[in-house]
Amino acid sequence: MLLSLLSRRSLEVDSRDSYGFALRPQHIQRYREYIPIYKEEEAERLEKWKIFLEQHQKPAQACFSKEEDETPEFKHKGSSEEEHKEILPVGATELKEETSSKEEDKASLPAVATVLKEEVSLEEECKETLQIEAIKSKKETASDEEIKETSRAGASELKEEFISETSEEGDASRGKSDFAGSTESETKREAQLSEERKTCKVQKRWAQTRPSLHFIEKMMGLRVKKGKNTKDEKVNGSGDRFVSIKEAEHLSGESEDVLEEVCVNEMSANNMNASKGESDLGDGTSQEPFFSWKQELENLVHGGLPKDLRGELWQAFVGVKARRVERYYQDLLAEETNDGENNYQNSSSSSASKWRRQIEKDIPRTFPAHPALNEDGRDSLRRLLIAYARHNPSVGYCQAMNFFAGLLLLLMPEENAFWTLVGFLDDYFDGYYTEEMIESQVDQLVFEELMHERFPKLVHHLDYLGVQVAWISGPWFLSIFINMLPWESVLRVWDVLLFEGSRVMLFRTALALMELYGPALVTSKDAGDAITLLQSLIGSTFDSSQLVLTACMGFLAVTETRLQELREKHRPSVLVVVEERSKTGQDWKDTKGVATKLYSFKHNPRSLVEEKSIAEGLEDAPDLRDHSSNLDELFSGLNSEIDSLPDLQEQVIWLKVELCRLLEEKRSAILRAEELETALMEMVKQDNRRLLTARIEQLEQEVAELRQALSDKKEQESAMLKVLMRVEQDQRITEDARRRSEQEAASRRHALTVLQEKYDEAMASLAQMENRVIMAESLLEATKQYESGQAKALSSPRSSRSQGSSQDSPRKRTGILSFGLGWRDRNRSKAIFDESVDNPCSPGRETSNQEKEQ
Amino acid sequence: MGCGSSRLDRTSGRLNGLNNSENASAHDAKNLRVKLVLLGDSGVGKSCIVLRFVRGQFDPTSKVTVGASFLSQTIALQDSTTVKFEIWDTAGQERYAALAPLYYRGAGVAVIVYDITSPESFTKAQYWVKELQKHGSPDIVMALVGNKADLHEKREVPAQDGIDYAEKNGMFFIETSAKTADNINELFEEIAKRLPRPSQVQPSQPAS
Repeated sequence: MLLSLLSRRSLEVDSRDSYGFALRPQHIQRYREYIPIYKEEEAERLEKWKIFLEQHQKPAQACFSKEEDETPEFKHKGSSEEEHKEILPVGATELKEETSSKEEDKASLPAVATVLKEEVSLEEECKETLQIEAIKSKKETASDEEIKETSRAGASELKEEFISETSEEGDASRGKSDFAGSTESETKREAQLSEERKTCKVQKRWAQTRPSLHFIEKMMGLRVKKGKNTKDEKVNGSGDRFVSIKEAEHLSGESEDVLEEVCVNEMSANNMNASKGESDLGDGTSQEPFFSWKQELENLVHGGLPKDLRGELWQAFVGVKARRVERYYQDLLAEETNDGENNYQNSSSSSASKWRRQIEKDIPRTFPAHPALNEDGRDSLRRLLIAYARHNPSVGYCQAMNFFAGLLLLLMPEENAFWTLVGFLDDYFDGYYTEEMIESQVDQLVFEELMHERFPKLVHHLDYLGVQVAWISGPWFLSIFINMLPWESVLRVWDVLLFEGSRVMLFRTALALMELYGPALVTSKDAGDAITLLQSLIGSTFDSSQLVLTACMGFLAVTETRLQELREKHRPSVLVVVEERSKTGQDWKDTKGVATKLYSFKHNPRSLVEEKSIAEGLEDAPDLRDHSSNLDELFSGLNSEIDSLPDLQEQVIWLKVELCRLLEEKRSAILRAEELETALMEMVKQDNRRLLTARIEQLEQEVAELRQALSDKKEQESAMLKVLMRVEQDQRITEDARRRSEQEAASRRHALTVLQEKYDEAMASLAQMENRVIMAESLLEATKQYESGQAKALSSPRSSRSQGSSQDSPRKRTGILSFGLGWRDRNRSKAIFDESVDNPCSPGRETSNQEKEQ
Repeated sequence: MGCGSSRLDRTSGRLNGLNNSENASAHDAKNLRVKLVLLGDSGVGKSCIVLRFVRGQFDPTSKVTVGASFLSQTIALQDSTTVKFEIWDTAGQERYAALAPLYYRGAGVAVIVYDITSPESFTKAQYWVKELQKHGSPDIVMALVGNKADLHEKREVPAQDGIDYAEKNGMFFIETSAKTADNINELFEEIAKRLPRPSQVQPSQPAS
């Protein structure tokens, strides 16, 4: 509710989200990106819820009107004013603002009553008588109730009786206090009143849920009753702690139980009324109609709750109305103040003071600097935590609860927050935050097993890095993701968790986170990196819808029954360790509360008590010896007995522990061996891989080389081809040239032969000519000889005449001959053709010459 | 027999822890890695010491630690070795001691913190020392730290008590202030110097 007091603007500062929580600087950017998405989702779910609520308004209205009819009926008799608040017409939301002022007044009234009661406490006698009376009357009513439980009408009558009785007592005490009221107490009261008023102004202490949600409230309330029995037992078990705190109404633990039972019966009576009004059938049918829309509701819850309805819906889910016991909260607080003043209840006050100190330490460390947790907010937080510690001393106060209480206070009024806290811590987280934190340890083992089942590879990798899943998941579970996830996601997880009423959602969310971020983790190289990475990823899980859907849809096999099985399986091992620890740590844990010791392990307290008595006996022993020496024998016997007693026990425990240790060692050795083996295998694999990669590289290189060579060769080939082509061409050219030259040579040869022939011819003709010359010469000789013969005969006349003529012709003839011979000498080598040409004519000339000569 | 696998899980945790410390010393000589766990009473300033060391910040209104939180930081020493601290900061409330073994198992270093203005926290520190002597790894390096040294006018635990107790138990003692950053880096540097070096460890280990 604190949230509603803050203006939106003051919340939406840069470094804060819309809930007023500080954002880590590295997430501001991402958060801004998601603001529009969140707004869109919010609008969407508002619409859906509106439709859903309107649809179911009718039957709910019917139930509600009946309830309203009834409440005044049995409440107006108990005319005490705080009761009157209940009948206030808590109408629709619009009415709220109007009524709030009235309610403020009414809320301040209980405070008056508390103060009064304190005063009454001074008069112990009166109170004691009152107590006895009250117990008697209550026992009566209780027994009556048992008998008449089957008849509903009778029960409601009884309640009327009961309430009138208590109110009478209240009146009586008030009267008495007026009687004895001293001025001192008067002023004190006034001071306290004003103080109370101040806080009341800040917020209403208690408010009912809006009527439109009553049908949900009712269905969820049914669930509470089942769990209620166990809770009653617990209150019974530790009931003696509450004993005889002087109050008008709650006189003892027993009476509380009665009251609670009454309250529950009241509820069931109402429910029965409702169902009976619709159909005159038995109790069993009343649950039937609820189931028809439960699935629809579940889907809506998975989609998230609208911001404005969240606080009230959470209360409805937890069943606050069914749990609430009128004035219980105020009385717890009153008890607290009394206890502070006169602590004659040693055991509880020592542990209570311890809680108180721890609470005081932690209050400023709860959502530090959140704008809503101012002075008053912190006071509420303190009251809430103290009241819870008183309510459930076996848990007391545990770090983490401060965050839960703080969160609840932001969404609802203080007392509502108290009942919500009670609801989910007592029922959903039973045994989780106790001194030994057994259930939380068991859950971690369960989660580890689920991880092994779901993500064996991831777990193996984390194992390899030396990371244990529980290191990381432990804080998630203990803080229910507060401060781990972004707020939108935290609230969405809480929506489902509170709706389901079990821790299943814790597991599913954790598994979903592992599914979302596991793949990224596998890349991490060492433990530190893995955890840092996971933390930062988890811290920026702004996509709340994805997370919730993955969780709810992806891990349907993780159910409460399955978890219970696994818890049963793992619990013994945790108990063994706890036993071992509590044994070794006994000397350190003297201050531990009895309740937690009882819880820790059944054997332990017994041995503790025995040891204590033994110690006492030993201390007493010397004194006794002084008194009578006769007893020495007895005592020595006793001593030996005493010695042997714890010895045996210790031995057994020691042996157990030793056995466990040895078993553990063996297992660890086996595991180590396995791990080494796997590591070896991995190394071998890696080696192979390295070799193979090397080979591949080598081969690739070779291939590359070969390819290079091939391309080289090709190039060479082409070059060769070119060369070859050129050579061929050259060859062709030379061939051509050769052919031409041959042709030429042939033609030359031919020419030569022609010339030779011509030459031969010429020679032949020359030889012929020479022959002719010779012939001519011989002819000439012959003629000369003839002439000389003639000349001798010329001495006679006849001879003279003949001589004269003959003398002229030889002269002519020698002239021609000499010319011919000279020419032949000159042109013998050349001018063959001329000769040959000339020759034919020369004989003609010669002949003509010869003829002329003739 | 029903608890067989669960025991298995827990031992695997211890085993891994041991692996871790082995890794811390047996990796290479120049780059050490060590798991460090902070223990001590609630509100003595464990988270503040870590935040001061890792982020250099101090927030007087820091959050309550639920379960444990993790941060890591690497420092370089003068001899050019680096040490990576994997720091587990545990919750201080007494009942969370039940979960502490999960975190101190296999840790190479334990830093036990008390508040010099609170004798009760000093008693609690002694409890942790005994617990670690019993259940921690035998060669764990332990440091006793008296925090909030800036509040010396409110001192209730004399420094000498811390020194004496640390000496008796073979621990290293220092008084720090996360608020003023006094001795915070010195604390971690001193721890780093005291870590077993692989060069010293290897001869004793048979070659694997």
